[in-house]
Amino acid sequence: MTVTDNTTNRLDSLGASGDGPSFAILDEESKREIRRALLQAVAVPGYQVPFGSREMPVARGWGSGGLQVTLAIVGPDDTVKIIDQGDDEGVNAVNLRRLVVSSTGIPETTEAREASIIQSRHRIPEDELTATQTLVLQVPVPEPLRGIERDVRELARMHAEADYSRMWVSLYEDKVRNGVITQSTGYPCLVNGRYVVATTPIPRWDIPRLHMSQFLTLFGAGREKRVYAIPPHTIVEPLTFDDVPFEVERIEGAACRLCGSTDSFLVDSSGEVDSWACSDTAWCRARRSQG
Amino acid sequence: MGYAAARGGLTAIKNAENLVRSLRDEHPSPPVGHDQLTGRLRLLVDKVMGEAGLWDPQLASRALVEAEGDHVEATHLLRAHRSTLPRLAVSIAVHVDDARVLRRVVPAYREPGGNQILGRSTDYSARMLSARRNLPAVDIDRRSPGATTGDLRDGMRRMISVLRSLDLLVDRRRQDDPEPFDITATPARPPAPRSARLATMARAETGALINQWYRNILGPDGYLHEVTLGEVRHSEIEVNVLHPLSGKSTTVGYVRITEVEAIEDLDGDDEDRERFDAGFGACLGHNERKAIAMANLDIACHRDAGRTSLEQSILMTTDGLDSAGFLEHLKLPHYVTFRSMVDRKFAVREARLTRTDLAPRGVGTDAR
Repeated sequence: MTVTDNTTNRLDSLGASGDGPSFAILDEESKREIRRALLQAVAVPGYQVPFGSREMPVARGWGSGGLQVTLAIVGPDDTVKIIDQGDDEGVNAVNLRRLVVSSTGIPETTEAREASIIQSRHRIPEDELTATQTLVLQVPVPEPLRGIERDVRELARMHAEADYSRMWVSLYEDKVRNGVITQSTGYPCLVNGRYVVATTPIPRWDIPRLHMSQFLTLFGAGREKRVYAIPPHTIVEPLTFDDVPFEVERIEGAACRLCGSTDSFLVDSSGEVDSWACSDTAWCRARRSQG
Repeated sequence: MGYAAARGGLTAIKNAENLVRSLRDEHPSPPVGHDQLTGRLRLLVDKVMGEAGLWDPQLASRALVEAEGDHVEATHLLRAHRSTLPRLAVSIAVHVDDARVLRRVVPAYREPGGNQILGRSTDYSARMLSARRNLPAVDIDRRSPGATTGDLRDGMRRMISVLRSLDLLVDRRRQDDPEPFDITATPARPPAPRSARLATMARAETGALINQWYRNILGPDGYLHEVTLGEVRHSEIEVNVLHPLSGKSTTVGYVRITEVEAIEDLDGDDEDRERFDAGFGACLGHNERKAIAMANLDIACHRDAGRTSLEQSILMTTDGLDSAGFLEHLKLPHYVTFRSMVDRKFAVREARLTRTDLAPRGVGTDAR
């Protein structure tokens, strides 16, 4: 092949012939590269796969990793739902949604059940997700062991050898000193019996949803340039001891002030007395309309 | 209501954007032209291009205006723009000796081979704001600092080659010629090849690199000592690619770079005490501070050889987009994570009330 042909073909295939921005912002080669990393992530559940994270139109730490994952997997037949803290109207969710929708032309929804891709920061929707849905979680810190080790070379060794002994010691010391395990969100979980992962930070409430789920969960950490995955039907075990049950968040006597729910993740919407409300606003609204 | 205000949705976001745009673009003063930035705020434009890793003075100027002068934000605009572009060609390596030298300072010798060229610099000016608004025009041959003739260049012997000829330099030249590590395609983590460290520092945020250097001088880290500078150069180099039709090397443009050689006094027990070693720094644009810090950190990292966290600090903490983005993400809603933290506070409190073997409530070094 001559150099000329090669260049011309590439220009065409990359959509660089001057007919406006490409579908889903990134050029096709970038998307393909991210998909390759995602395939590796699915093949080795919980393993943090390095990828050449692009600079996105959103800042690093603002969902640039989740956005790249969504843009790499989105197709013209998809419907997207994007939430932040469980809320479709959060500023970050709104901003990411308009980028995805405007660069792809795909429909958006707030109903979890209607979406084929759900991108989220800090929550999993309350609705049961199905095998046809993919959950994309934005990850600020993908390294679950950073609290006990700072050197990235040592961290790589610990993961490679599945040497999680210091993690167990730190959980034990926490329990002995404080009476409870004080890790709040992003609770460390062992995936498929092999890799410990950082669960983004979703609350502990959401952790059981990842275990043997119907849906695929993809984790994107843009700033740290890592993706990882929890495929459907994968064992996900929060790290805890046989005689110390894993605890999810609970509020004695609290119920959503809007829908009355006592079985959803509630947030303290103003810090005032009885200001509990569902964090998943679409779920809460649906519950109210059903009466 | 705190978070209700931060909710707002699409309308609020658009209003925020429009406020920026209208107050900036419709300000009664004359609009800032891009030639004003490249002509009068040259160093700012250069800094942005260097940190973006993209040479395009026009786009960099536009980015600075859109970012209201915030150089990290302007860098982000350029890098995000670059993400949308396909990589059509890889340029052919050029030798820095072929550069057209605009400025050259050699602190290591009084009379180095070739000239010292002060060029365009305020290094030696008194730091006093000009009291008069309309200073008289200066009479200067504007072509002179450009060292337009080739002979000027010919006499410039690099300090490392001087030291080499005196057998005063450790020979670290390698025989193979590996492809440089592409930090835009693969994340660089320690242990990484030297080219990964150099590429990372070339795009690093200038202030971050300076701080990385200075915290080794007066801060808790002491992984480097001061180097003697062999060369500080600001030059213009050609960008050459293979012509798609002829297959021959073709010049497609020029970029300016700042380039520094740093001579290091080896004083370690396991080092060659009869010779020096050298670090190298180079970045897009005229940014001497950055290139000097880079050259010193380059040799420091080589000597450190993975003993300390220096390489991790360089590779993973100096990118302006990374650090600024992550810092600012703290402004995003965090009420789910915060709610979960509050839950744990009550859980600890409850445990301390019911268990006698734990510290009583409120005990801790910060208990009030």
